[in-house]
Amino acid sequence: MRIILTLLQKDFARLVRDKAALSLTFIVPFALIYLFGQVFGVNRTDTGPSGIPLAVVNESDNPAAAKLLAALQGEKAFFVVTKFVNPDKSMRPLTETDLRPMMKANNFRFALVIPRDLIRDDEFGLHLKILSNPRNEIETQTVHGILQKTIFANVPQLLGQSLQARAKKTLGSPKLAAFNSSIAGTVAKTFGGDPAAIQRDLERGDFGLGDADDGTPAPAGGQRGADFFAQLVKIDNEQVIGRDVKAPAATHIVGGWAMQFLLFAVSASAAALFHEKEHGLFQRLLSAPATRAHILWSKFLYGVLLGLVQLVVLFAAGRILYGIDVEHHLPFLMLVCVFAAAACTAFGMLLAAVSPSPEAARGLATFCILIMSAVGGAWFPVSFMPEFIQRISKLTLVYWSMEGFDQVLWANASFIELLPTLGILGGITAAVMAVAVWRFNRGPLFD
Amino acid sequence: MLLIQDVIKRYGPITALDGVSLEVKPGEFFGLLGPNGAGKSTLMSLVAGLRSPDAGRLTLNGRPLSATDPAARAGLGLVPQSIALYEELSAEQNLRTFGALYGLRGADLRARIDEALAAVQLTDRRRDQVKTFSGGMQRRLNLVAALLHRPQLLLCDEPTGIDPQSRNAIFELLEARVRAGLTVIYSTHYMEEATRLCSRIGIIDHGKIHALGTLDELLMRLPFEEEIRFPAGPDTAPLLARLAGQGELTTLDGTHRFHPRADYRLSAFFTQTESLGLPARLFTSQRPTLEALFLHLTGRTLRE
Repeated sequence: MRIILTLLQKDFARLVRDKAALSLTFIVPFALIYLFGQVFGVNRTDTGPSGIPLAVVNESDNPAAAKLLAALQGEKAFFVVTKFVNPDKSMRPLTETDLRPMMKANNFRFALVIPRDLIRDDEFGLHLKILSNPRNEIETQTVHGILQKTIFANVPQLLGQSLQARAKKTLGSPKLAAFNSSIAGTVAKTFGGDPAAIQRDLERGDFGLGDADDGTPAPAGGQRGADFFAQLVKIDNEQVIGRDVKAPAATHIVGGWAMQFLLFAVSASAAALFHEKEHGLFQRLLSAPATRAHILWSKFLYGVLLGLVQLVVLFAAGRILYGIDVEHHLPFLMLVCVFAAAACTAFGMLLAAVSPSPEAARGLATFCILIMSAVGGAWFPVSFMPEFIQRISKLTLVYWSMEGFDQVLWANASFIELLPTLGILGGITAAVMAVAVWRFNRGPLFD
Repeated sequence: MLLIQDVIKRYGPITALDGVSLEVKPGEFFGLLGPNGAGKSTLMSLVAGLRSPDAGRLTLNGRPLSATDPAARAGLGLVPQSIALYEELSAEQNLRTFGALYGLRGADLRARIDEALAAVQLTDRRRDQVKTFSGGMQRRLNLVAALLHRPQLLLCDEPTGIDPQSRNAIFELLEARVRAGLTVIYSTHYMEEATRLCSRIGIIDHGKIHALGTLDELLMRLPFEEEIRFPAGPDTAPLLARLAGQGELTTLDGTHRFHPRADYRLSAFFTQTESLGLPARLFTSQRPTLEALFLHLTGRTLRE
């Protein structure tokens, strides 16, 4: 143990004297957490995209179409373009024929056409046209989603108008007027109100299902539309776990970032084994009363302690920058950190054991870490992936480390509940270290 | 002190050491002379316990040396061929680490570090990172790092590098330590180093010890006592025919080397050069060297 501690002390002394390694340990985690947080909009009130160019051609003279256009202009995700700029800088309203060439020129990738026959008397519903250049799948899905949300927020009134138009064609004006008058009378009798005013609302398509007739467009958030749909289907939501978690978004994803950073860090320190070999340092150590086991276990302990320090710094950064509740889970969080750091260190040592050179170790590390992070769920939820990849993900240390962090920070798990996850991480560490030590004893590192 | 008996070491199909036997006595400055790839470093690594032999036996003071018995190596010090120091650490931190591996602690360790740094004139740089040192300074520190625990036997595996200034400093330090009782095994492919330092020399090539003895003993194995050198060229070409059968003639690096038979008279040589009109300035005569011996024993030069 004395020799292991001497070697461990030496590695920490080297860390202290190495400014690059120090910054990697203590400063980079803060920068990383901050940047990832900004990219993923953690704790931001104005999340989501903004300013995506959207061309809108409004051919309809229906006031509701103008309200829809105004709602789109109020939506921060879009920068709505309605005018065509002539070469002499004069402007005119966009037409549908302008759209395709302009999209080919990448002036914008999305366009909405509100046609003259927005509401037709020969069919129920609305007629809209969306043109898109789906260059980026995520952007396209996001834009379609926001467009649909904004349109549906304005649907109730338009839907009412559509029903009135269809009824007018089927029944004729006199019979429709009699029908509306009858409905208005019944509503006034049952709920109160002026029958004539109610009839006017009905004729305008306003069934009082959420859209106020105040001349304003539905808000960008689509609350009135949402109210309408909420009246159709009432869903009671209950969050069972994580209800009291502060900064839920950051709590969920900080574990993934931490693991990815830690894997790169321990892989770099494993590649440093080659540096010691190339400088004849292993010869010197092994000619002293130190053995390969002393060297390997001192490296393992160093990796675990360094990993632990880095995880602590990463979670401290998460606490400071995004308010993750670390302090109430400190003992169990440290426990998971130790097991995660041990698994990562074992992985780094395996890389060094199987690689013929530091360059090969770095290349293999990058490949394995990216694959393991993606498959293990550090980038996006595992449930997004095919089932066979979901099964593979459970073989990765990233998955189980993130599971451990989630259990502690999100589910407030007890020690007993945490044990299986810790056991799996411990098992991964033991298995990977066994292979690494076996390879170290037969490979060229100590020759 | 060190006894090596019939040691064989193979790397796959390559036999690096092929039945090597030798004994190094206490207080000796033993030189292992051979070209690159001769087996010097492999032999050093076996003695240092870095590897185990495939056959044969190595003992230090009667105790078997093995890669699995670190305690047996406590009396050894190794100066590796490369500068085996942690370059981010200071000179003092390096020495403290290596000293602690041998169980040195506290005031004793501090005193030894002071002594070591003073011996290589690095006291005023003790807190500087090794990476800021010159190559010569690093070489000197590399040496004293192996002396800190006061080993009985020091293994120097081509320790000098190419810096002549550090070479002299290292030589002086080693000679002083040998005078104080240290035993040294010094591997090199520089004939000059072996000639200057070593009280006994083993000539190694292709994994075999070809000759073993003091410098004088080794040189006596040459079948000649003089070596006459002259430049190769058209002027001296006629002389070669006249020397045929009078001794051994080799050519190396554009220089003919003539080692006359014991009964050959130098006056006959000069008669022939005069008759060919060759000026005396073309010829030099000197005592044969270890290089000549190596060439004689192996048929190749130390630089090959």
